[in-house]
Amino acid sequence: MKLKIPFVIFILWTETNLFAAEAGMPQLDSKYWYSQSFWLILIFLVLYLSLSKFFIPKIKDNLDDREKKINENLDEAKKFSELAERKNLDYENEITNAKKEVIKIINDSKKQLDKSINQKKEQFEKELEKEIKKAEKEIFELKNNSSDSIKTIAEEISSKVIQDITGEKLNSSSIKASVTEIAKNKVGKYL
Amino acid sequence: MAANPMHQFQVYRLGPEIKLGNVDLSFTNASLFMLISALSICIFLYFGSKQKSIIPGRLQLIAELFYNFIAKMINDTAGSKAKPYFPFIFTLFMFVLLCNMIGMLPYSFTVTSHIIVTLVMALFIFIAVTIIGFFKHGLKYLSIFVPKGVPVVLLPLITVIEIISYLSRPVSLSVRLFANMMAGHTMLKVFGSFVISLGLLGGWLPLSFSVALTGLEILVAFLQAYVFAILTCIYLNDALNLHH
Repeated sequence: MKLKIPFVIFILWTETNLFAAEAGMPQLDSKYWYSQSFWLILIFLVLYLSLSKFFIPKIKDNLDDREKKINENLDEAKKFSELAERKNLDYENEITNAKKEVIKIINDSKKQLDKSINQKKEQFEKELEKEIKKAEKEIFELKNNSSDSIKTIAEEISSKVIQDITGEKLNSSSIKASVTEIAKNKVGKYL
Repeated sequence: MAANPMHQFQVYRLGPEIKLGNVDLSFTNASLFMLISALSICIFLYFGSKQKSIIPGRLQLIAELFYNFIAKMINDTAGSKAKPYFPFIFTLFMFVLLCNMIGMLPYSFTVTSHIIVTLVMALFIFIAVTIIGFFKHGLKYLSIFVPKGVPVVLLPLITVIEIISYLSRPVSLSVRLFANMMAGHTMLKVFGSFVISLGLLGGWLPLSFSVALTGLEILVAFLQAYVFAILTCIYLNDALNLHH
């Protein structure tokens, strides 16, 4: 840039007569200076007035409007995001509450289930015991009965055997006594 | 050389001659291109602010981009006190930018390549800033010529330098814009005529250079408009916030 101006002046100097206005620099010809100044002032004044009264306020309005609207929208967005955050918090709280409740329900039902299982078990065990006792009793009775019947069978068999061997009939009470005596000693061993 | 590279800066009358006493106020090609620039700005801003959509269209986006760009520039350089001058700086920037950019079109005329145009703008800014300074601070505004923390021995010298630098503001402001515009356009023209004179065989080099220069000139067109506006802001800052 600094070199440009001397270069141009050099060219002009060599090409033309620099300061003879007609041939050299028309800028230095004062013929139209008044005209140029007059039209410049006139046009610039009109331009200034139209810009400052009409166009600049309009652009400013546009810019202000936009800023206002953007700020409003931003505020609204902020409000909405706060609302959303609050809702989200509520939602999370509800979820944690629900989870707690679920755990409680599970625990309760587990307890109840355990309780009822225990109850049933006890009942069942009681019944079982009863059945066992009954069965034992039956067995015991059966045992006693069987020992009695064994005695009679033993007496009959003994009297028959004795009758077959000796040919005479022994009196039944003595047989009964001896069988009972033997049974006393031996029955415990087999029954 | 095929054509005089300065011919593009020639001002000529369009339509009838308008005379106010002895002063020639005829409508010229320079006036026409000022008008075209101003109308382009109005049309651009009209379509840029027509729809009030939340998501801006292309033109609306560009218009708002310019608005925010200038608003930020003013706020950064001159602070919040300079807010009432926003329309002026905005108009100034847009006008200079459009004049520079429209000057980049072939066969067009670059309004800002004329010293008288930039000088009128710079002088207006200079006088306005000085008036604002005196209006806001009274005679205390003169303290702008006496920087703080300068040894007493150097004070007369520094004050003289400060006064000279203050007075040279309109010159530097106007000449910077005018010289850049003129130099760029002359260079484009010179290299363009090289293409013609070197013909098909040798013309490619200056042509490629011309293409690159066009890109550079578009950058310069934007940059000079920006520099013009930001310097105005800085001068305004001096007037509004004395010795910040």
